[in-house]
Amino acid sequence: MKTKIKMLSMLLIGSMLLLSACSSNNNSSDAGATSDSSESSEPAGKPTELTVAFPIFSAQPKDMTLIEDALNKITIEKINVKVKLMPISFSNWMQQTNLMFSSGEKLDLMPTISNYNQAVVQGQLIPLDELLEKHGQGITSALDPAFLDAARVKGTIYGVPTLHEMASVNGITMKKEIVEKYQIDTSKLQTIEDLEDVLKTVKAGEPNMAPLLPSTIGASILNDYKTFDELSNFLGVLPSFDNDLKVVNHFETEEYAEQLKLMRKWYEEGLILQDASTNQTNPLDLVKSNRGFAFLLSAHPAALSEGAAGGVPMKTVAFSQPAVSTTSQITNTMWGITVNSKAPEKAMEFLNLMYSDKDIANVLIWGIEGKHYVVQSGNVIDFPEGVDASNSGYYLNAGWLFGNQFLSYVWNGTDPDLWEKVKAFNASATKSKALGFTFDPTPVKTEAAAIGNVITQYRLPLETGSVDPDKVLPKFIENLKAAGIDKVIAEKQKQLDEWTKAKQ
Amino acid sequence: MSVRLENVRKKIWKFSPLYFMMLPGLAYLLINNYLPMYGITIAFKDINFAKGIWGSDWNGMQNFKFLFSSSDAYLITRNTILYNAAFIVIGMTVGVGTAILLNEIKNKLAVKFYQSALLLPYLISMVLVSYLVYSLLSVNVGFMNKTILPALGIDPISWYNEPKYWPFILVFVNLWKGIGFSCVVFLAAIIGINKEYYEAAMLDGASKWQQIRKITIPLITPIVIMMMMLSIGRIFYSDFGLFYQVPMNSGALFSTTNVIDTYVFRALMQLGDIGMSAAAGLYQSVVGFILVILSNYAVRKFSKDNALF
Amino acid sequence: MFRENRVWQWGSHIMLLLLSLACIAPFLLLFTASLTDEQSIIQNGYSFFPKELSLAAYKYIWEQSSLIFNAYGITIIVTVFGTASSLIITSMLAYPLSRQDLPGGKFFAFLLFFALLFNGGLAPTYIIYTQLFELKNTLAALIIPGLLMNGFSVLMMRGFFMTTVPPSVLESASIDGASEFTIYRKIVMPLSLPILAVVGLLQGLMYWNDWFNGLIYLTNPKLYSLQTVMNQLMSNIQFLANNSTVGSLASGSMQELPSEAFRMAIAVISIAPIMIAYPFLQKYFVKGLAIGAVKG
Repeated sequence: MKTKIKMLSMLLIGSMLLLSACSSNNNSSDAGATSDSSESSEPAGKPTELTVAFPIFSAQPKDMTLIEDALNKITIEKINVKVKLMPISFSNWMQQTNLMFSSGEKLDLMPTISNYNQAVVQGQLIPLDELLEKHGQGITSALDPAFLDAARVKGTIYGVPTLHEMASVNGITMKKEIVEKYQIDTSKLQTIEDLEDVLKTVKAGEPNMAPLLPSTIGASILNDYKTFDELSNFLGVLPSFDNDLKVVNHFETEEYAEQLKLMRKWYEEGLILQDASTNQTNPLDLVKSNRGFAFLLSAHPAALSEGAAGGVPMKTVAFSQPAVSTTSQITNTMWGITVNSKAPEKAMEFLNLMYSDKDIANVLIWGIEGKHYVVQSGNVIDFPEGVDASNSGYYLNAGWLFGNQFLSYVWNGTDPDLWEKVKAFNASATKSKALGFTFDPTPVKTEAAAIGNVITQYRLPLETGSVDPDKVLPKFIENLKAAGIDKVIAEKQKQLDEWTKAKQ
Repeated sequence: MSVRLENVRKKIWKFSPLYFMMLPGLAYLLINNYLPMYGITIAFKDINFAKGIWGSDWNGMQNFKFLFSSSDAYLITRNTILYNAAFIVIGMTVGVGTAILLNEIKNKLAVKFYQSALLLPYLISMVLVSYLVYSLLSVNVGFMNKTILPALGIDPISWYNEPKYWPFILVFVNLWKGIGFSCVVFLAAIIGINKEYYEAAMLDGASKWQQIRKITIPLITPIVIMMMMLSIGRIFYSDFGLFYQVPMNSGALFSTTNVIDTYVFRALMQLGDIGMSAAAGLYQSVVGFILVILSNYAVRKFSKDNALF
Repeated sequence: MFRENRVWQWGSHIMLLLLSLACIAPFLLLFTASLTDEQSIIQNGYSFFPKELSLAAYKYIWEQSSLIFNAYGITIIVTVFGTASSLIITSMLAYPLSRQDLPGGKFFAFLLFFALLFNGGLAPTYIIYTQLFELKNTLAALIIPGLLMNGFSVLMMRGFFMTTVPPSVLESASIDGASEFTIYRKIVMPLSLPILAVVGLLQGLMYWNDWFNGLIYLTNPKLYSLQTVMNQLMSNIQFLANNSTVGSLASGSMQELPSEAFRMAIAVISIAPIMIAYPFLQKYFVKGLAIGAVKG
C-alpha cells in the first residue's frame, strides 16, 4: 500500500514539475512580450502591438488582414502602433471576453455592448480620466461633455461613448408599399393608440400579413417603446424621465397595465403576429417576405432616413413626443481600455485616432476604398461593381460600433446629411432627470438573478398580448415581489439619492 | 517483512508495463480535469478582474444564495429531477429493447438500415432539433397545425403557449435524439455475449423470451448499470439545448420547461457573474456526486461485481 | 421453434421500421423545407410535398463556398486525428483498468469517475490550455480537450474488456511469455473490435459535431471547423433573441441573418457528409460488431 502511494505521489510530483516548467517558461516569454510592448517614447522604436476586440453580427469577414494592414499603415506612422483586430461573433462575445479577462490574455481595447456598468463593476476597465486629458483631445472635442459625463461611474470615466443617437424617440416603421397602397395618412399618427385604425386597415386588406411585429428577435412589441428612464436595467424606473427622481416599479404602474390591455386587444383581433412571443425572425425579414407590416422602434434620424433597411423601402414616423437622452441610451456602446492592457497610453492614443482620424474611421467602418466600397459622390459610397453584401470581404455595416461614425462616409440610399441631422437630434434632445446616473447591481445581485427569470417568464407573453393581462399581470407582479424587486428598487433609490447629493 | 516487501516489489515490477500504458491517459486526466479543479474556489469569490482571480475577495456562500432564494427553487429542482428520472427510465428501457430487437434481425442489410436511421437524430445539434420541432409545432406554418390536426378535425393548438404538452414533447424529443446512441452501446454489449450460452439454452428448449430474460439482460446488466450511474451523476444537470432552444425560450412554458441550467442561464445573462455560475456548477456536481456514491453503495450491497468502484 | 423465430423476426422488423420512420421523417421535412420557396412556406406551412421549389438558400451558401470548403477540411483533419489518437489513449488506459488484478485499479477507476462528475468549470480549463500549453488558435485546441470524452469512453471500454476478454486467455498468454504490451496489442485489441468501432464512432461524431472548442479557443476564422461556422450563423440568431436591447441596437447590422429556408439548408449541408459517409463507415462498424459476435 505504502509503495503504491509513493508511486502515485511520484507520478503526481513528476507531472507537476513538468507543468510548472512549462508555466515558468511561459511566464518568461510573457515577460518578454511585456518589455516588447512597454511604451517607448521615441517613435523610431519597435511599434507597440495593440489587440482590439469587437463583436460582429454577421459571418467573419474574409479580408481582416487587409484591413489590419491598411490601419497599420496609418497608425505606425502617426503613433507607432500596430493594431491586431479581433472580431468575435456576437453570440460568443460575452463568454470569450470573460475568459480573456480570467486568463489575463492580451487585450487592450474593446467596446462594451449594453453592459457598461457590469464591466465597470467587475473591474474589466481602467479609469480613463487622466489618459483622456493626456492623449484624448480628439475624443473630448468630438463628444459633447454632457455625454462624456454620462459615462461617469461614481465620478470616474471608464469608457467613451461611441458617437451615435444619444436619445430615443418613440415611433413606428411601416412597409412603404402598403402605406401607399392604402393611402395611410401618417401625419395622423401621434400616439401608439392612433395605430389601431391603420393596423385594422392592413389586416382587412392583407389577410396573410401580421400588421404589428415585435421590435426585434426575442423582443416584445413594446421593447422599444419607452415612456420612462429604465435606469440601467428596468428594475425600478423613472416614469416620464422625471418623477422627481422617485424610482417606481414599472410593471406595477397604471400606464403599463393600460399598454398591456391594448396589446391584448390587438392580439385578439389578430393585429399582432400570432407567434410573436416565440418569434425567431428579424422583423425586417418578416416585412421583406410579406409576413408583416410594421413594428415600433426608436425613430431617430438614421431610422427616418428611408431606404436601405434590408432592401425594403420603409416609412418611419415619430410619435409626437420629444426625444429624450438617458444614461442607458448614451452608454449602450462604450469603448474602454481593459485591465489586461500593458500599454494603456498607446491604447488611448489609438482610441483618440478612432475618434478623430477620418481615414481610420472609414477603414474600420467600411473597409478599403476600391475593394470594399467606391465613392459615388461627396460622402456617399456604395459597393464596387460585382460586390454585394454576401460576397464583400468586409461589410460589417456597424458604424455605431466604431468610435466616431460621424467622420465616415454614408452608404448609398441613406441621407447624405445624416450625420448633421443626428448631431442636431442629439443636441435638441431633452435630458432625463437621471442622466448620468449608473446603477451598480452588485449589492442586490442575488435578487437581480431571480428577477431575471421572472421577467423572461412573463414580459414577452404579456407585452405581445399572447396572454390575458387581467389574469397574468397580478401573478407577474406577485412573483417579482417574491423575487425581491422591492429590495432592488430601494437600493436603486438609495444610489440615486446619493448620486443626486454628490451632483449638487 | 522483507519477504513481503520483496513480493510487493515483484508485483509492481510485473505490472509496471500496465502502469506505463496508463500514463498518457492519466496525464491527460490530470491536465484536463484535475488541474482546473482549483477553479472551484471561484464559486466562493467575488470576482473582480482588476484584482485577478486569485486576488479577488472571498465572499463565503454569497454566490450560492440565488439558487435557493427565489420561489422558483422548488420548481426547477423538481423539473430537473423528474425529467432526468423519466429520461433515464424510458431511455434505458427503449434503448435495451431496441438493441435486443436489432440483435434478433438476421437480415444484415436491414440491420444496417435501421441502425443508420436510429442514429440519425444523434448526429445533429440541439439548435437544429429546435428548428425541426418548430417546423412541426409552429402555430402558423407547423406541420401539425397545418396538416395533421386538420386531417383529424382538431383545432390548431398554440403549442408554444401550452405548458401541459411539454413534458411529453421533451421526453419524446430526448428519446428520439438519444435512442440511436444508447441502442449502439447496448448492442455492442449484446453482441459481445458468448453465443454458447444461447446454444445451450436452446438445447434446453428455452423460448426466445426466456433467453432474453435469463441470458441477455443479466449479461448486459453491468453496462446498463454503468450508463445508469453516469446518468444519475448528472441528474442535476440538464441538456441546455433541449430545455432552452427546443421550447424557444417561451416564457409561457416555464412551469414545465424551466430547469436548473436554464434558470442559471437566465439569471446570469444580464449579470455575467462568473462567481455565481461557478457556484451553480459546483452545486450540481456535488449533488450528482453524492447521488452516485449512494447509488454505488446500493448496487454494491445488491451485487458486488456490478458496483463501479 | 421455427414459428417463434418467424414471429420474432416480423415483430422486430415492424417495430424497428416504425422507429426508423419516426427518426427519418423530420429530416425529410427539413430537406424539403430547405428546397421550398420562402413564400410557399408562409402560405402552406411546412410540408413534405412543397408546392413551389427554390434553390435560393443553396445559392446563398454556394456564394460562401470558399469559407465552407476550408471548414470542411479542418473538420476532416480534426475528426481523423482526434479519433485515432483518442482510440489509442483510451484503450491504453482502459485495458489496465479492466484488469482485476492490477494493484490500485479501483483507485484509478475512481479517479476517472470523479473526473467525469466534477470539473473546475470553463474558465480554469481555458486558462490551463491557453496559458500553460498555449493552445489558443491552434488545431490542437480542437482535438485535445475532447480526447477522452471526459473519461466516458474509457469507462465504456473498460466495461467491455471486463466482460468479454476472458482472464484465462490473458493468463495463458502471459505464461507463454508474452509481454503485457504484446498481450494488449495482439490479443486484447483484436478481441475488442466492436467496442473500438463503437467508441471510434462516438468519438468521431463528437469531433465532427464539436463547435464549442472552436468558439472558445479560436479567434482565427481560418481554423474554424464546419460546425463552428454553422453554429455561429445559427447561434447569432439565438443570442440576439435573448438580448433584445442589443437586438435593437444592432438591428441594422444583422441584415444577413439567415432566413428559415437558409437555416434548413445549412442544416442539410452540415448533416449531409455524415449521411453520405456513414454507410461506408458502417461497413467497418458492423464488421467490427460481427467479428465480435463470431469470436464470442
